[in-house]
This record gives sequence, structure tokens and C-alpha cells, in this order.
Amino acid sequence: MAALAPDVVTRAAGFDLGGGGVAHPAAFDLGPSRFRRTLKSLELWLPIGMLTFIVLICFLWPVIHTVPSPINGNLLDANLPWFTHSSLYGSHYLGTDTLGNDVMSQVLYGGRTSMEVGLGVAVIGFGIGGTLGVLAGYMGGALEAVVMRILDMFLAFPALVIAITIVTYLGQGELNVIWAIAFFAIPAYARLARATTLRIKDQTFIVASRLSGASDKRILFRHIAPNVAPQLLTFSFLGIGVYIIVEATLSFLGYGLPSNVASWGKMIANGQVFLGTEPRLVLVPSACLFILIISLNLTSDALRARWGAQ
Amino acid sequence: MLTRFSRSPSVRITGKRVLQAIPVLIGVTLITFCLLNLLPGGTCLSILGVGATRPAVHACDIRLGLDHPFFVRYWDWAYGALHGNFGSSLVSDQPVGQILRLRFPVTLEIVVYAFILSVFFSVPVAVLAARKPHGILDRISIATSMFGLSIPGFVFGLLLILVFAVHLRWFPAVGFQPISAGLGPNIRSLTLPAATIGFALFCAYTRLLRADMVDQIAGEDYIVTARAKGVKYWQILIRHALRNSMFGLITLIGLNLSMLIGGTVIVESIFGLPGMGQQLLQAIGYRDVTVVQAIVSIIAVGVVAAALVTDLLYAVLDPRIRYGRPSS
Repeated sequence: MAALAPDVVTRAAGFDLGGGGVAHPAAFDLGPSRFRRTLKSLELWLPIGMLTFIVLICFLWPVIHTVPSPINGNLLDANLPWFTHSSLYGSHYLGTDTLGNDVMSQVLYGGRTSMEVGLGVAVIGFGIGGTLGVLAGYMGGALEAVVMRILDMFLAFPALVIAITIVTYLGQGELNVIWAIAFFAIPAYARLARATTLRIKDQTFIVASRLSGASDKRILFRHIAPNVAPQLLTFSFLGIGVYIIVEATLSFLGYGLPSNVASWGKMIANGQVFLGTEPRLVLVPSACLFILIISLNLTSDALRARWGAQ
Repeated sequence: MLTRFSRSPSVRITGKRVLQAIPVLIGVTLITFCLLNLLPGGTCLSILGVGATRPAVHACDIRLGLDHPFFVRYWDWAYGALHGNFGSSLVSDQPVGQILRLRFPVTLEIVVYAFILSVFFSVPVAVLAARKPHGILDRISIATSMFGLSIPGFVFGLLLILVFAVHLRWFPAVGFQPISAGLGPNIRSLTLPAATIGFALFCAYTRLLRADMVDQIAGEDYIVTARAKGVKYWQILIRHALRNSMFGLITLIGLNLSMLIGGTVIVESIFGLPGMGQQLLQAIGYRDVTVVQAIVSIIAVGVVAAALVTDLLYAVLDPRIRYGRPSS
């Protein structure tokens, strides 16, 4: 009878119990007001807007406006405060760091790197992990047992430690970092894809299409994939945030990207020494990292609320 | 007597789970071994330096037993490890067991401290938040956990240093005081590191507990029944909702253990603590394979053991599993 719990029925009939349906008396209400609906839609569109803004500014701003180089700065221009103009390299909107590199351009190029790594890992995880998970869930039997046990083993490792090991041995580089992190993204995607597949594979519409003679291939592509993909996509936003954190952490510890690539983690590591005197060098990249990740997390939350409600 | 014992569902479940953990352990150590041995960049080359001659490298390979086939080496290692012998460091020649005995207590202390902090704060906060969903306390708790889940651990650690060590001077920024220097200084030197890890855990736990309790209160029949019987709201929250939500919390704690260990690596590096994480980073830098292998295996075994304990705790907490009835 759980499905007919009183407040579910009341809600279905258009009563808003307010406050999550706890201690309030049932007040008559014609659904959420227009203002509330706008607020509700902002929950999704605000973080998506923020993400779009970050992507656009990181990828387009250096194209349409000359920014100083993020590396090989002039030591004579070291430690400039905000909004200073240097004769050689143009405007330093966020000042320069202790090596004379422009902070603003490091932020922009570092953001590019973060997003490239995050997206790269997510694509690999989605492709390989998603496929493995769907196949394991759909086929079942020995294939499922073997694939899932192996993937479970990978989950038993501390991701960061193995990523550091892999990057140390393969050498620093953006692609190596992506593969090192993907190593741990694949099992996560596979588990989610399998769980979703298991949930839908015995539902009526799948049984019906099998009864009407559809092949496994058709069922997988036309029925299962479209139902699993939104789940994986929602997870991807959350996942990309995590991968960006791992990349930043790797770079922070000195095991991530090579020295000629700008990265927020590395900016923070370099600024760490001057935390007492120049906290700006740590706070600016930290704030960027935080804003990017919270946008991703909020998007994921909002998408889950939306697609989970169906 | 024995048959009666073996028929008891809880014993059967325990036995089954322990048996299932064995292949996982073999797999986990095997993967570590593969990873460390198959990746390019040989051990001997890094010990001897880039300019080493081929015969010198070969002699070194023989000395360290690296010329044996892969599975022979794995067997030798596993046999030694099961007898508590992890070999000795390739760099300092110190027995790995001795290194670990020095480093392990520091890491354990941080982890336990962080864990106590997070559980101690997250349970009451989640109960307070769930008491009135969408109320002011609830919104604060949601915002805090979103903040905590979005901020990388090392950034939060640096912020803590900036505020509590640089400006307020309440805690030391770096360094470790062993427990022999007194409990006070010891706790003081570990508070910021533990808070860094603990805050992330606190946010994850609060978010989960709060969501689960709100869900239960909104839709579960036993809550409705309890309310109809006139049970006090606090009692419903704690004795009915919180008790059920503990399952989710235990799962999360079990799953999070590897994250927690990743966290200690970062924290030990920021705060300069002589724990396993620092040792691991150092060993990876020197390609000190025996030390890396020992530490990673111990971590992996710890994670597998945690998963096992989680499963067994379910059986203790959930009478449906304990008495062998199918759970819904």
C-alpha cells in the first residue's frame, strides 16, 4: 500500500502539502505558483548557464581578445597586483604570479585543460563502461559475473594512488592523465549502466518487443540504450566534477600535467608557498575550481530531479 | 552441534562472504602486481640511473629477482606477504614491515579522528534538517553539503590553513607531534588534517542521511502508523527513520573508505605528516616497487575487508537477513 500513502494521493489530486508533506495541514493549492515554477526551472538553467559561461570564456576569450601567455612570463613583472598594465604583455586583469606569469590567462588555459580532461574521461567512461555495463546487464550469466567481478576489483583501489602510479610510469601528459583517471571512471559507469539495464530489461515494453520478434541488437539499440543514456548523462555531470578534482589534485601533488600546460591544480600548488603573503594566487584558481564543480554538481542534481520524476 | 551451527543463517552468510572475498583479494593484489611490473620504466633503470649499462641493469635484475617469470614473482611475493614478510625497500634496504610500523599509526590516527568528527556532527545535523524539510536548518544543511561536495580536499585544507593557522594561529600549519609528546599537542597537530577529510565525509553523510529520512517521512507506512498512534515526532525521527537510514550510511561508509585513503595522501602531503600516504608518494617517486606494492595491497585489502564488514553489519542490523528471509 506504500504507493497509496495518503500524501501521495493528495499530491496527485493537486494538493500541495507543503514542506515535503510533513506536519502541515492540507492546504488547498492550485499547484506551485508561477513564481515558484520559475524558481524551479532556475534550479536547472542557472547552473547550465554558469557552465556555458565558463566554457565560452575559457575557449573563446583567448581567441577574440589578446591575452598574455600563461607560461614563460617575464620575471621582472612578478607579483603585480590586480588590473595592472605591463608594457610588454598587455593588461594583467588578475595580476601576475611569482614567476611573472599572467594569472588571468593561466586561469583561462587551466580551465580549458580541466574541462578537456574531465570531458575526455567522461567520454571514455561512457563509451567503454556504458557498453560493458549494458551488455553485462542484458546478457547476464557468466559474462556478467566475470565483467562485474573484475570491475569491482578496480573499485577496491584508491583511485588517486593508482592514477599517480600510472602517470609516474607513463610520463606526464594530458592524454596519460585522462587514461589514468578513466581507469576508474569505467567501472563506475559500468555499474550504473548495468543497474539501469537490469531495472528496465524485464519491463513490459521490452518483453513486448521481444514477443513481436525484435532481435537482441534492435532491443539494445532502440529500447535499452535510449533509457540508459539519460542516467549516464546525469551521472556524467557529477563524474566530470570528480575527474576535474582528481586532475587538479594530481597536478597539485606534482604528478599531473607537464610544466608547459596550465592547470588550476598547479597554480594552487605554486601559490601554496605564498599563502601567507599572496593568498590571491591560491584563492583565484580555487574559486574557479569551486565554481566549475558546483555548477556541474547542481546541473547533475537538477537533471536527476527532472528525469527521475518521470 | 556442528550441523546446527552451520545451519544458522548468519554463520552461513559470514562464511559465504569470507569465501567470496578471497578471489577478490587475489585479483586485487594481482592487478597491483601487473600494474607495477608491466608499466614501462624499469625498476633497475631508475635505481641505477639513466646512464646505467646493460650488464649492470641485468645484474641488478638478477639480484632483485626481477628476471623470474611474472607468476613466479607473484607467488614469491604473495607467499612472503602471507607470512608477514613484504621484502625490503629497494632504495633504503629497510624492511617494508618496519617502515609500515612507523607510518601506519599516523595514518590510522588521522582516519579515525576524521571519521569520529564526521559521524559525530553529521547524525545530529541530519536529524535536525529532516525534522522540518525545506525549513531554514534544512536549507543550510543542503547548502553546506553542496559546498563540501564541490570543493576539492586540498583547496579546503589550504583554506583551513589560511584561516586557522595563518590568521587565527589556533593550530599549527604543518608538522606532526607524536603521541609521546603528549595528547594535547598530538590532537592539535592532527585537528586541521582530520577536519579537512572529516568535512568532506560530513557533507556526504549528512546529504545521504537527510535525503533518506525525508523520503521515509514523506511516504512510508510505518511512519504514518507511528504518527497515527501519537508517537512523538522526535521519537519517530530517531527510532524509526534514523534507524533505517543507518543502512544507507553504513553502505556509504564502506564505499567511501578508498576515497578516505586517497584523502589521507593529499592531507599528509599538505600538512607534512609522516604517514603512509607520504611514504607512498615518496616510494612512487623513487619507483620503490616493494614499498608501493605493500602499501597499495594493504589499502586494497582494507577496502575489501571494509566491504565484508559492511555486508556482515547488514546481517546484524537487519533481522530479515539475519533470519534468512528474503529481503524486499
